[in-house]
Amino acid sequence: MRKLERNLYLVPIVLIGMAVVAGSLILTGLAQWRGSEAGAWRLPVSACCAAGAVGVILLGWYFLKLSWEITSIAGFLRKDKSSLIEPGGCKALSELREAINGRFSGNSSYITELEKQIGDLQIKIQLLRRQKKNTEAIIYSIHDSVIVVDESEKLLMANEAAGELFGFDFKDSQYKSIVELINNNENGFAEFLSHCRKSKARATRREIEFTQNNEPKTFDCIVSCVYDETEDKKKQVCGVVAVLHDITREKEISQMKNDFVSHVSHELKTPLASIAAYSEMLCDGEANDEETRKEFYSVIQTQATRLNRLIEDILNTSRIESGLIKVEKKNVSLAILIEETLQMIKSYAEEKDIKITGPKSKDMIVFGQVYVDKDMISQVIVNLLSNAVKYTPSGGSVKIETDVDELKGLVRVSVTDTGVGIPEDEVGRVFDKFYRVGKNKSQAKGTGLGLNLVKQIVEKVHGGRVFATSRVGEGSTFGFELPLATEVVESGV
Amino acid sequence: MAEKKVLVVDDEIHIVHVVAIKLRNNGFTVITAENGAQAFERACEDKPDIIVTDCQMPVMTGIELIEKLRKNEDTKEIPVIMLTARSFAIEQEQKEKLQISECLSKPFSPKELLRSIEDILYDKAIAN
Repeated sequence: MRKLERNLYLVPIVLIGMAVVAGSLILTGLAQWRGSEAGAWRLPVSACCAAGAVGVILLGWYFLKLSWEITSIAGFLRKDKSSLIEPGGCKALSELREAINGRFSGNSSYITELEKQIGDLQIKIQLLRRQKKNTEAIIYSIHDSVIVVDESEKLLMANEAAGELFGFDFKDSQYKSIVELINNNENGFAEFLSHCRKSKARATRREIEFTQNNEPKTFDCIVSCVYDETEDKKKQVCGVVAVLHDITREKEISQMKNDFVSHVSHELKTPLASIAAYSEMLCDGEANDEETRKEFYSVIQTQATRLNRLIEDILNTSRIESGLIKVEKKNVSLAILIEETLQMIKSYAEEKDIKITGPKSKDMIVFGQVYVDKDMISQVIVNLLSNAVKYTPSGGSVKIETDVDELKGLVRVSVTDTGVGIPEDEVGRVFDKFYRVGKNKSQAKGTGLGLNLVKQIVEKVHGGRVFATSRVGEGSTFGFELPLATEVVESGV
Repeated sequence: MAEKKVLVVDDEIHIVHVVAIKLRNNGFTVITAENGAQAFERACEDKPDIIVTDCQMPVMTGIELIEKLRKNEDTKEIPVIMLTARSFAIEQEQKEKLQISECLSKPFSPKELLRSIEDILYDKAIAN
């Protein structure tokens, strides 16, 4: 039983008990007082005592009833918070009952309304959480670095790429100062963000350089202002979003293309310059005798051939890359091909006083055939031999060797020189398009296309493999492997 | 007028040859070199009146040659004509800094080259 009920029921019980005891005592007293001198006072006193006892009993009873009503109301209020209190027997409490019911009715609808609002808010909160999750998922999935900063220079959101670039935990850095987070801020990136926000420009674009993993990298950075609407419908900047796209590779490619255009222009214009100059001299009669004129004609002719070959190289490289080149394969004797090529290079080698040797007779392929495009493989061998001669100082040597591996079904051709050599970290790149070894650029001219053409022809067109080894100051070996022809047919060579 | 001496520098032997013929036919003494390093040695030895040099050469480029000439007391005043096949011209700022008298793009006209040489030597003679 609760304390309220206990206290309320105790009072009337005590009162009734007291009344019974008092009544008993009075009757007992009166009985003793009967035969005495009281006489006439006995009746009224007895009546008063009886009335008093009854009154107390009635009071106790009423109090009991009241207690019951109050505890009933209390119990009702505890159990059922939504229903109204039912009318009871005690009229004195009816006003209280009405007041409580009145308050209840008002509260009930208020509570219902509140509960409805709470429900709506909970739904909205769930929707917002889901939207936030979706937004985060979108930003985290972006490969570029993304940073969102608020108007007080605090980080709101960032993705993994941004965390890696700037060196912070992208999930654990919310609301931290962006200046503190960017640990390589020597290029003023944080100030740039601040400037963009203050300028209120819709979007600002700039190329920025950072160091990542000890490597310089270039990024195309676009900073966009985030706008919020104030109460008076005015737009104000509440933050910025920065997206950084790594353009290091694009810049390298662009630079390589620029270098290539520069080189190609030089290579094309050089023979053209000779052709133009000698032609003008002939036209102006500067060649005084027949011998000089013949010399001039010869120069024009060789330079025109040179120009044509260069243009062909450039075009062939492009065609092979795009798969448009016409290939005419047939069974060819590699030994004869090598011998023909050696004759072409011989005069160039002699000019530079370089000894050039071909395969030993025992190494020559007598019966082994390769199924290739003769002109293309001839071009490959010419390129390798001319490179070897180009990068070998006077007095050096170049040799070309062949080796058949019947077990693997392939033939290996290698060109070894005693030239300047190539640094270890650059050997792997020599077959790249436009690539020229740094320190060797001053040694001899070139477009950076020759070895790339070799690679394209051997690997892409013939399914072979190119290789290169080198030591700086000692020389290099360049070569290729081709599959042996599967059946021997009459060679057209 | 004393015969003027021209140093012609180019790694393309045919260019050197045709320019030498043109200049010799017009009364110049011609000395040649096939790269910048060789050209600098010849310039110090023979003290040419003017130098005609290519831009892109092995061992030492035309730009590097001119920079070296300008640092040397004996050669710093020698006027230089640069022949270039580069896709873009040498910037004016660099031209002034290196005191390059003239830049001619390849393919060039031997007649035009001769005219430029004569004009530069004439201006130099007037200045002196």
